[in-house]
Amino acid sequence: MNAHTAIKPPAFMHSDYGPALQPHVSETIESMVSVPLTEFFPNFAPAITSGYPETLEADLERVRAETRKSLALVDMSSIAATDSVNILASEHGFGLMGGWPYAEMIKTIREVVIERTGCTKIHLRLAIYRGFKEAEEVAEHFGFNEAFEGRVKGLGPFDQGVEVETVVGPMYLIKRAFDATKFIHAYYDDPREMYFNRLLYKSFKSFCMSYARYETRSVYHSMFGNRSGSVIPRALFDSDFIQQRYTFSSVLCTTPMGVIGVDATTDLYAIDRRITKSHLETYGRMQRLFAEIKDCVAIWDGGRWGYYLHGGGLIFGTLLTNHSDAFDLDQPVVAGFMQSPTAPVNFSRNKNLRGVVVNQAWVGAGIPYVTMPFTTPMYIVGEEQAQMWREDPTNPLLMDRATVVDSLHQGVAMACEKGQTDKLIVFDGSYGHLTCNQALADLLKARAPAVDKMVGEELLPKWLAQRGLS
Amino acid sequence: MATIKLVADYNADPCTGCKLCDIVCPSGAIKMEARKPVIDEALCIGCGRCVDRCPEDIMWMIQRSEPLVTTVHPDEVDQEAVTALLEKAGIEAAMSVCVCTLTPGSEIAASIIKGAKNLEEVCAATGMRSGCGIYCVAPALRLLEAAGCDMTPPGQHRWYPSTLSLYDLSDEVCAKYPDAYIEEDRAVFDPEHKYGPLSKEIL
Repeated sequence: MNAHTAIKPPAFMHSDYGPALQPHVSETIESMVSVPLTEFFPNFAPAITSGYPETLEADLERVRAETRKSLALVDMSSIAATDSVNILASEHGFGLMGGWPYAEMIKTIREVVIERTGCTKIHLRLAIYRGFKEAEEVAEHFGFNEAFEGRVKGLGPFDQGVEVETVVGPMYLIKRAFDATKFIHAYYDDPREMYFNRLLYKSFKSFCMSYARYETRSVYHSMFGNRSGSVIPRALFDSDFIQQRYTFSSVLCTTPMGVIGVDATTDLYAIDRRITKSHLETYGRMQRLFAEIKDCVAIWDGGRWGYYLHGGGLIFGTLLTNHSDAFDLDQPVVAGFMQSPTAPVNFSRNKNLRGVVVNQAWVGAGIPYVTMPFTTPMYIVGEEQAQMWREDPTNPLLMDRATVVDSLHQGVAMACEKGQTDKLIVFDGSYGHLTCNQALADLLKARAPAVDKMVGEELLPKWLAQRGLS
Repeated sequence: MATIKLVADYNADPCTGCKLCDIVCPSGAIKMEARKPVIDEALCIGCGRCVDRCPEDIMWMIQRSEPLVTTVHPDEVDQEAVTALLEKAGIEAAMSVCVCTLTPGSEIAASIIKGAKNLEEVCAATGMRSGCGIYCVAPALRLLEAAGCDMTPPGQHRWYPSTLSLYDLSDEVCAKYPDAYIEEDRAVFDPEHKYGPLSKEIL
C-alpha cells in the first residue's frame, strides 16, 4: 500500500441514530490521499494502535498489556472483596478509533480488579449523551453484557439525580453512576472540544458531564466561561461524596497518532498533568496546523455526531472553532456558550470552512447547532439520509437550508464550486494520518515546519507556563 | 423563538402506562390519564425525547400540518421588567440561552414576566429545550429563581434547582482554585460589573 493511498478508517458501530452504513470517502473518491501525520510532524511517536481492522486483534493485545502494566502499580487497597464497584465509562470513548481500544481497557480493568481484590461485584455503568438507546447499542456491540455477566446499565443526563454537596454549593450527579459502594473512573483523554475545555483540568470533566445531571452540565457550560468552568468538575471530584467512593482512575492515553498507552493511578491530578503536557505537545501542533487552512470543504464520514468525528486525531469541531488559539489561556473568549457582551464569538461559524458534505453522521443532540446551516452550506448525500435529518427533532431548520445531493461526488463538486475552494478534508474517525485531497496535503506539508517551530519555540512554553507545567 | 415542525404521537393499545414519556417531557405536554399519555399538541415542542425514551417503541413523531412557532415577543411585556430580571439574575439579554434554538436570555426573561412560573412553562412558551435539552436549563432556572418562582423540584426527577453562576462563587472558592481564571472571566463576561451573586433573601 502506497503511503498516500487513501485509507479506509476504523470500522464503527451501526446505530439507530445514524444512517445505514455508506461507502467511505476513501473508497469513493479516487483522488483522496491519507497523509501520515509524521510527514507533518516527524517527532510524533508511533502509537500502539490507531484502530485499523488489519491489525486490530494484535493491537488490542497491546492495549490489554498496557492496561495490566499500568494497573499493576495502582494501590487498590480501597476495594474490599465485599465491595460493589462501578466502572464508569463515557460514551465518547466508543467513538475513538472504532471504540475497541477503550472497550478493551474497560474489560481488562474488571479482570485485574477481580484478580487483585477478590471483589466480583463489578458493574459497568455506560454514560451516554442524549439518546436513551445508546447504552444498549454500545453494550451489545462491544460484548459488555457477556464480559460483565449482565451487570451493565446505561445512564444519561435525564436519569434520577443525587444531590452532592460541594464547595461551590449543591450539584446533581446521576444516582445510578454511584449505586455501588465504590467506583473507578475509566476515562480516555481525547481533548475533543478543546475550544470548550481549554485543556484546563480536562481529565475531571466527566464529573460535571458524563456522570452528572443536565442541570450540572448546564451550569458548567452556560453559567461560566470556558476557563472558570474548570471549577465545577474539580469541586465535584474533591467533594466528600466522590472521595468516599473513588478508588482510582484508568485513562486511555492518545495523541493524534492513536493510542499510546494507559495511565492508571489513584492521583487523578497527576494523570491530568501528564496528559495535559502530552496534549499540548501533540494535539497543540495539529490544532495550529488546522489553523493554517484558510479555505476548505469538510466531509463528515463517520459513526458519531458530526462535531465529534475525528480526522487526523482532531474532531471537526476543532476545525470549526479555530478562530483563535484555544490553548492560550490569556485569550479570554474562545468558543463557548457564555458570550462576552463586547466580543461575542460565533462558534458555529468559521469563514474558512466553505461547506460541509455529510456522507454519513448521526443525527440528534442538536448537532450541528441550528446556526451552522445558515452560515455554512451543507450538502446531505442521498434522500434516505436526508429523511433522517428531516425527522431530527433537535434541528428542525437544517433541511430548510441544506441541499440534498444524489452522490458524494456531486456534493463535493457543488460545495467546492460554491465555496470557491479546491481543498477537501475528511472527518472519518482516522488517527495517525489525515485523509484529504492532494491540494490540502500540499498546503499542510508546506506549512507544517513553520507550525512545528512556532509551537515548539513560542506557544508550547507559554501554554505550559499558563498551567504551571513548565 | 423556535419553529416546531413535529409533534409526538403514540399507539395506545400496547402502552403499559410506565409514565417515562411524561417524566422526560420538558414542556409539560404529556399528562397521564387512566394510565395512558395524553399529548397536548399546543404544548409539545417536538423534541422527540418521549419517542426515544419509550421502552415499548410505540411512540413516534409526525409532521404538524402547520409549524408551531413558539416565541414571546419583546413588545408583549414590560421591557423594564425584563431588563431588571436579567440584571438580577446576571444573564446577558443577548446570550443564546438555548443554543439549539438560539433563544436569547431576553426572551426567556420575557416569558417569565409574561407569566411562566416554572421550567416547563418557559419551554412551552419559547421552544427552549426542543434541541439537545441540556445546556439551556441552568440560565432559565436562574431567571425563574430571580423572579421569585417556586424552586421546589417537581417529582419524578424532572429537574433539580441548579442555578449556580460565575458571580456566586465565594472568596473561599476563588482562593481554593486560584488557577481557574474566575476574576478574569468575570471581567470578560461582565465588563460593567453590573452583576453579582443572586440574593437568596429577596425570594
